[in-house]
Amino acid sequence: MNVKRLSGVLLLVMVLAMLVSACAPVAPAAPAAAADSAAAPAAGETTTLTWAFWGSPEEAASHQRVGAAFMAEHPEITLEYWNQPWDDYFTKIQALWASGDTATIPDVAFLWPTPRYAAEGVLENLDPYVEASGYNLEDYWPGLLDSAMFEGAHYGFPRDIEVNILYYNKDLFDAAGIDYPTDAWTWDDLQAAAEALTVKDASGNTETYALAMEGGKFLKWVNQNGGQILDDFINPSACTLDSPEAIAGIQFFTDLLNDGYAMRPADLNQAGGDAAVFQSGQAAMIIQNTSRVSAFNAAAMNYDVVPVPTPAGGKRWNGAGGAAWVMSSGSDSKDAAWTFLSWLQSAEGGQKLYTEAGEIFPALQSVATSPAFMNDQPPANKQGIITEAESSDVGGFGFFPEWGEIDGSIVGPGMDLVWSGEATPADQVPVVCEQFNAFLAENGYPKP
Amino acid sequence: MTPQTSPTPRRYFRWQPDQQWEAYLFILPALVLFAVFVAAAMAYSLVISFADYGLTGIKGFVGLRNYQGLFRDPIFWQSFRNTAFYIITVVPIQLFLGLIMALALNQGIRGRTVYRLIYFMPVVTTIVAGAIVFRLLLATNGPINNLLSDIYALFGLPFKDINWLGSTRYSKWAVVVLTLWKNAGFTMVVYLAALQGVPQELYDAAETDGAGAWARFRNVTLPLISPTTFFLLVLQMIGAFQLFTEPFVMTRGGPANSSLSVVQYIYNAGFRDIRMDKASAMAWFLFAFILLFTLIQNRLQRRWVFYEAG
Repeated sequence: MNVKRLSGVLLLVMVLAMLVSACAPVAPAAPAAAADSAAAPAAGETTTLTWAFWGSPEEAASHQRVGAAFMAEHPEITLEYWNQPWDDYFTKIQALWASGDTATIPDVAFLWPTPRYAAEGVLENLDPYVEASGYNLEDYWPGLLDSAMFEGAHYGFPRDIEVNILYYNKDLFDAAGIDYPTDAWTWDDLQAAAEALTVKDASGNTETYALAMEGGKFLKWVNQNGGQILDDFINPSACTLDSPEAIAGIQFFTDLLNDGYAMRPADLNQAGGDAAVFQSGQAAMIIQNTSRVSAFNAAAMNYDVVPVPTPAGGKRWNGAGGAAWVMSSGSDSKDAAWTFLSWLQSAEGGQKLYTEAGEIFPALQSVATSPAFMNDQPPANKQGIITEAESSDVGGFGFFPEWGEIDGSIVGPGMDLVWSGEATPADQVPVVCEQFNAFLAENGYPKP
Repeated sequence: MTPQTSPTPRRYFRWQPDQQWEAYLFILPALVLFAVFVAAAMAYSLVISFADYGLTGIKGFVGLRNYQGLFRDPIFWQSFRNTAFYIITVVPIQLFLGLIMALALNQGIRGRTVYRLIYFMPVVTTIVAGAIVFRLLLATNGPINNLLSDIYALFGLPFKDINWLGSTRYSKWAVVVLTLWKNAGFTMVVYLAALQGVPQELYDAAETDGAGAWARFRNVTLPLISPTTFFLLVLQMIGAFQLFTEPFVMTRGGPANSSLSVVQYIYNAGFRDIRMDKASAMAWFLFAFILLFTLIQNRLQRRWVFYEAG
């Protein structure tokens, strides 16, 4: 055998070795996983659950504190954390589910939007567990559980509820010499205050906007005014955003934008979002959920909150929805997963811990009215948040799988033109509805 | 080669005992990786494009339904028109800018190494960082609008703030500007190499014949660098068809999908809407379109690309 041959053989051996070693960790894993799913854990043994959530290192640390509290109460269950940044989370968790490998599929996961994933068959129907354990569904805010339902069954429990309220900067109200907002404010009061709060410099550039709100929250105005986006939120047949009530609600916000009182959503995005402009004093009021509270408290801002003003003769309305804890249908320890999931969503367990940490406005009403939430931290008007939360209802989004696509490709982009001032609501909303209806027809709605 | 009496069929992978079989071993690692992560993945995406596909795998085959759905999808066509806009703006402007910069830096001007460095810097800069700077520059109350407002004031004209990123009229241009900034330096470098390959004798001869600067450029430089122009044209056309990062980080495809590129729509369909089947169909449609375009260009090059004899 000459040298060249020898080197060739050596190379072959190396390549084979590489291939074998690359495969090695996979080989023994398969039987182990099979054994896991077959045998129920005997007494004294611990079950290991994979718990998936997104978030920054700080958010992850908060979840892990909750996880540690659970393991202290339940020594028979060990939690393993699977944490990804928001931008990667959904792609990666989809890949895990698609792999079908029960050893890596998260048993309990944080998820949004739940119906989309339930339709794919990767989530466990929680109704049998609710029935067997007598878990209390009555404590949730009205309409909230609907956001995690699919075909009439519960596939997840929302951890929190998005309650959009009006934050106002007291210093800027004092500077403008006007009274603080109250729970009784109407759209007219908001508009009058907006005029007084807007400050322009000599060359006409706006120094302070009265209001900043993300364009995606516009359904607040629509529903307050008696309109809604769909005729049916589970099995829609038509977009109803072109009703006079709905268009009038959109027009109210559009006028605030076109009059220069409210910051255009595109500018708001460029300026770093509502928390940034509120803290810097570029906006005197913002409409946003309670997630901003901890940042404003940390910055020691002089602010408070009120329920969002309503139109004369209109109603309060808060779109009920929030990311939910779900169980994978491919979980290999479903009973333990239910133990953990129901603990997370209990008044004395996860709900209380997250609320005390100032992380969430809780999904359970009893926790919201408990000292865990009604503490002496700002904002002072916590009752205002409860008032807004009590108006929670369906109507913020559809509960069918394609909603995200409609919202992301048709409604959001279509309304951009109104927010930028390029089109009027009367002209643009029918265009959006036309595309919307074409999409519904294309995807077979209403389903028989 | 000796002519053979019996015709043997042409085979690409004919095994011959005297062949250096170790060569295959050397390329094996790369080949295995390519086969698994590129070839197999591509083949599977072609399969998916004819299927009803969900998170749990293929639920059934639906023939051409995914492709037919594309033709009825107004947003797909909008993204296609946007991409066409990017191609007809970015490609010619970029070739032109790159050539101008290369011509300028091919002269013996002082400090040309520094200029080359400056113009090439964006090519190696992270696109996201560049996009953030451009977003600040193009903000409604940003430096570019301030500059424009000063220029307008010079002529006594009122200036209305241009909403570069937030209006359907300008959003595509914002993406074009970022793309040009990012890629023109690459075009320049390739053109520079080509220019240095043009023999000085030809210029001398042309000058002796009385050709001016423009005539020399038109009749000597342009034909001799035409293979480079062709190479850049094909490369940039494909690049523009696949434009994704620039609109994604600048405008997220908005407002009103006005800057949405086909590839971003593919991304949205696959990873936002969990419709890998639709996304795969779009990707293969785009592939067919790019292939067709490149073939046409290949055919057309005979008319204008000049290859030196020999």
